[in-house]
Formats: sequence, C-alpha cells, structure tokens
Amino acid sequence: MKFKFMAIGAALLMSAGSIAASAQTLSYSDAGAMLAKSCGPDIQKFCSTVNLGNDQLRQCLLQHESQINPQCVTDYKVAVASIAKRVAAQNSIEKVCANDAANRCQGMVPGDGHLLSCLVTAARVVSKKCNQVITDAGYR
Amino acid sequence: MTLRTAGMALAVSLLALAGPASAQTMLTSDQIAQSLQNVTSDAPVISAAVLQAMALQHMKQFPGESGVTQPLPVKLDSLAQINIQIQFQLNSAIIKPESYAAVGSMADAIHNPILGGYKFLVVGNTDTTGNRADNMKLSQARADAIVEALTTTFNVDPRRLEAVGLGEESLLDTANPKDPINRRVQLINVGKFLPTP
Repeated sequence: MKFKFMAIGAALLMSAGSIAASAQTLSYSDAGAMLAKSCGPDIQKFCSTVNLGNDQLRQCLLQHESQINPQCVTDYKVAVASIAKRVAAQNSIEKVCANDAANRCQGMVPGDGHLLSCLVTAARVVSKKCNQVITDAGYR
Repeated sequence: MTLRTAGMALAVSLLALAGPASAQTMLTSDQIAQSLQNVTSDAPVISAAVLQAMALQHMKQFPGESGVTQPLPVKLDSLAQINIQIQFQLNSAIIKPESYAAVGSMADAIHNPILGGYKFLVVGNTDTTGNRADNMKLSQARADAIVEALTTTFNVDPRRLEAVGLGEESLLDTANPKDPINRRVQLINVGKFLPTP
C-alpha cells in the first residue's frame, strides 16, 4: 500500500479498515498525542526544521517515507481518517438530526450549543442515526 | 477505539476564574471550552493590533533588560481565557511533537459548539531570559506558528483567530521574571465573531 498522507479533514472517502463503524472518533488532541507518540522520534530526526501547520510536516514525512517507522505511517493514517470522519459528522449533525430537533427540542436554534445539549440529553428518545452522528462528532 | 495516552492530558492554569496565582490544573478540552465561555460584560474590547501597540509602548516607557513588573494598561485577566504551556525548540518557533496534543486541545475547544461564533487571540509570552527585543520577535513567531497549525492542520476558520506576541511585557509571575511559568500561550476569547451570511 502506497504511503500517502492526506490533509486532515480534507478527504472523507479515505478507506480506513482499522476504524470500526461505531467506534469513537479521535479528537484533535488525541490525534496530536498519537502523532507525537508514533512519529515524534522521526519528526525530531528528519523534520525538526519544519512546523506542524500548513502541510509542512506532512510533506517532510512524505519525503522520508522509506526511512520512518511504519507505526508512524499507520497511526498517521488512522488519525487523518478518524478526524475526517469526525469533521464530516460535525458538519452533518444539523441535517441528520433535523427531525429529532424539531420533535424533541422545539424552539432551539443551531449554533450556540443549546440545541446540541438538548439532543444529547434526549439521547434515549433520539433516533439512532442522530445519536451516532453526535457520537462521531465527539460531542457526547 | 480509544487511543488516549497519559501524555495527552493538558496542563493548563485556569486564569479566567482564579487569577494569575492559580495552581496548574489538568483540564480537558471540554473544560477549556467551558472556561472560555465566561465572557463578562465589563471585559475590555481588545484586538491583536491594540495589544501589540501596548506592548511596544511598554518597552519604550519602561526601558532596560531587568524585567518590567508594571502590567500592560489593559485588564487582560478579566477576559475569558486559558494559559497553555507549549514546548518549542530552543530559540525557534517550531512546536515540539510533545505539544501537538496541547495544540490539538486548543483546536477541540475552539471547535466546541458552545464556543461557536467566538473569536480568539492567541498570545505568546516569554520569560525575561535573553534579549527583550528578541523575545518580542520570538513570541510573535511562536504565536503565528500556533495560529498557522490551528487554521491549517486543525481546521479552525482563520477569521476566528489572531496571533500576537507580547515578549516579556506581560509577565505572569512578576516576582520571578525568569521563571519558565512566564513562558506561555494565552488563548483569549475576545467576543462574538459574526460571519457574513
């Protein structure tokens, strides 16, 4: 399998067999911790002059693809795929939970967190789809 | 699948509630988001440009290399904020991998729906070790690096963040100006950001 990074959050269609459908997605903090753990030594060794942002780190790791620890490659992909899934879930909550919001949380508007707290509180009577997307979004 | 590790927990001190003397506390990004929510009505209106101008004026008004204890003429403490320790390489704006989780938790907090629509300043501070003018420059570069990581790798809308470096002009512990506790990044909530429809 060709080692190819993707910009975090950019691609939703990346297949990641290692992430189960119902699994909890990684937060940015979890992803950062995982990257530091698996790739930290390689980053210090090969990429100590580039920064985390603006795709610099990814480009640098790509350039040293053949030299870096395979666990770093694997975990990087897991992190990217998981975050993509989380971002997709965050972006689709409004749509997926529209019916539940109308039925269970009348009068609340999206955007300030109140609607979401209502849906989280009402988890027992909220649809399976809506519950799943809230879990994937990391909002529970 | 939970890939949490002990190392990803974040040491932050909660300034908004307890003031600068508060002890370091372990906070989750949910707690960060909660504490950043406490915007008071009497909080000063502040921007990166205003804050930077104050810091430069502060250097002129109180020259010297001994560490200035006078605060900046703005009550930053009254703004909802958190202090985060981010590890950088020596004399560089390169964020060390051990702090990726800390930057990530800033991103998680900013993405939290309870903070939706708010704008933040990312403020870099140094201690008084080294040259004062260099510290000013370095803290700006470091604040810029964090904003760059947040707005690219961590998907934060760039319109919601501004970076400003204050060098050693806004010490946390004025009694111990060389204490590393003064080296910190402040994430300050500066109020509602209303996107154009």
